[in-house]
Amino acid sequence: MSFILRTDRLTKRYGDKTVVDSVNMTIRAGDIYGFLGQNGAGKTTTLRMLTGLIHPSAGEIELFGAALQGNKGKALARIGAIIEYPGFYLNLNATDNLEIHRRLMGMGNKECIDEALATVGLQDAKYQKVKNYSLGMKQRLGIARALLHRPELLILDEPTNGLDPGGIKEMRQLFADLARKRGITFLISSHLLSEVEQLASKIGIVHQGRLLEEIDSEALRQKTRHCLELKVTNERKAAFILERELGTTDYVVAGSGGLRLYAYINEPERVSAALSAGGVGVREMRLSGDSLEDYFLKLTGGEQRD
Amino acid sequence: MIDLVTAEMMKLKHTKMYGLVLLGAIPANLVTLSSFLPRVTPEGAPAGIDLQDMFYRQGMTMTILAPFIFALMIGYIVSREYQERTINQLFAYPIPRVRILLAKLATALLLIAVTSALSCTSVVAAALVAAFKQSIDFETILSGLRMNLLACLLSFGTVPLAAAISMVGRSVIPSTVLGAFAALVTLIGEMGHGARGFLFPWLMPYWPVRELGQGLAPIDAEAYAMPGLIILSLTFLASLVFCMIYYEKAEIHSGS
Repeated sequence: MSFILRTDRLTKRYGDKTVVDSVNMTIRAGDIYGFLGQNGAGKTTTLRMLTGLIHPSAGEIELFGAALQGNKGKALARIGAIIEYPGFYLNLNATDNLEIHRRLMGMGNKECIDEALATVGLQDAKYQKVKNYSLGMKQRLGIARALLHRPELLILDEPTNGLDPGGIKEMRQLFADLARKRGITFLISSHLLSEVEQLASKIGIVHQGRLLEEIDSEALRQKTRHCLELKVTNERKAAFILERELGTTDYVVAGSGGLRLYAYINEPERVSAALSAGGVGVREMRLSGDSLEDYFLKLTGGEQRD
Repeated sequence: MIDLVTAEMMKLKHTKMYGLVLLGAIPANLVTLSSFLPRVTPEGAPAGIDLQDMFYRQGMTMTILAPFIFALMIGYIVSREYQERTINQLFAYPIPRVRILLAKLATALLLIAVTSALSCTSVVAAALVAAFKQSIDFETILSGLRMNLLACLLSFGTVPLAAAISMVGRSVIPSTVLGAFAALVTLIGEMGHGARGFLFPWLMPYWPVRELGQGLAPIDAEAYAMPGLIILSLTFLASLVFCMIYYEKAEIHSGS
C-alpha cells in the first residue's frame, strides 16, 4: 500500500534541547492517523515541520512519494492543514476569508466556497464577520478552509479544541465521512485519548519528542482488551471445553499452557468449573488487560497527563 | 501574482487602511486649497491661480506625511499576519514566500499611488476651475504630475525598511515609530529648504518637489540628488534583500 507520508529520523533541536527526536512516522492512504501525546510532547512541532513552517534539524520528510525538500509547493498543494489555531482575517466574513484562500490556492471555481461551508454547517453564518464567531465556529471554518481545495491529506492539530461535546461528536462524524466518501487521509493530533481512540485507524504515541509506538487501532484494541489469563495443564483440551461447554471461540492460545479468554471475564468461577469438570487443571487464573489510558501511561513511563 | 495582490487588497476590506489613505491625502488637499485665498501681485493687481505653487505646496505636504503614513501602511500589512496569527496559514500555502512578500510590497505601492493621486485632487480641480478664467499652462500640470509620480516612486524606496522592522518586531509599532521619526526629520529638513537633506532617504522624495519649485526658491539640488539617490537605492536593495531572506528562513512557532 502506498505511503502518503513518511518521516525518517525527523528531528528538531533548539540549542541543546531536542523537541522532536528521530521520529519515524508512516501514514498510508486512507488512514486516520491519531497523533497522541501529552501537551509539550512535540506533536505541534512535528506538524509544523510537515507543513514547512519550520525546518527540521535532521531527518527527512517524504510526502506523496517525494521528499518535501525541493517539492514543497507541489506537496503543500495536496495538503489541507490547521496548525495550532485557525487564524482568520477577523475583519472579513467567512466567505471573504475562503475567497482569499481560493485565490491563493489558485482554484478557479467559486462554488467550492459554499460547498465547503455547507460541509461544516456554516452556510447560515457565511456573511457574518469572523470576529463574531465562537472558537467552535472558527474551528469549523478552519476545517472548511482546509477542505476547500480538495486535499488528499488533512493535517489537523487538536481540531476539537473549543468544541462542545455535541460539536466534537459532529466533527468526529465529519472526519469519518470525509475519510470514507472522499478518501481523504487524516493526520490528527490530540492529547485526548478518548478522541483518538474513537476516531483513529492508526495511532502514533509520542512522548518527550520520541515516537514510542505506531500501532493499528485494531491491534491496540486487542492489546488493551480485558481478558482472563489462564495457565492450564492442557491448553488444547481447554480450548475444546471452552468451545463445547461454554460455546465461545473468543480466546487465544498463547502456548506453554497459556490461554487468553476474552469471554466470561465476569464469570471466572464458571470457567474454572467447566475446565475442572472436563479434566483440565487450572494452575492460574487472573483478570488482565489495560485500559487505553493504562496502556498509554505504561508506555510513557506512568507520568500523569495534562 | 495578480491573485496574490488581489488577496492582499481583500484583506484590507473593513480596515482603517482606507482612512489612512485619506489621512495621507486630505492635508495636502487642504494646504493646496489655501492657494484659492485672495492674493495680489507686487503691483497690487489681483493674482490668478498659480498651479506651480499649488503643486509645490501639495508635494511638500505629501513628502512630510509620507514617511509616517506609508510606514504605517506597510507595517500593518506585514505585521497583522503575526498579530492575527494568520501567518501559519499564509506560510503553509504552496507559494514561494518571496512572492508573498512581493505581493505585500506591491499592495503598499498601490496604496502609495492612490494616496499620491488623491493628494493632488484639489490641484487638478483648481486647474479645471482656472481653465474658465485664465489660460492653462499644461506644461506646469505635466510637471506637477511628473513630480507626484517621481515622489511616489521615491517614497516607495523606504517601504522595505519599514516592512523589515515590522516583520522582525512582529508588530506595527516599530515601523510607526520609525515613520514618525522620519516624518519629523523630513519636516525639519523641508523647513530648511536645503538640498543636503536628500541624503536622508525619507527626504529624497522632496527632490522632485524642490525641482518643481526651483522657479520659486532655487537651490543647488543636483549636487545632492545623485548621492541621495544612491543612498536611497542602497537602503531599498539592502532592506528588500533582508526581507526576502528573513521571510524565506523564518520559522513559525507557537504564538508567532
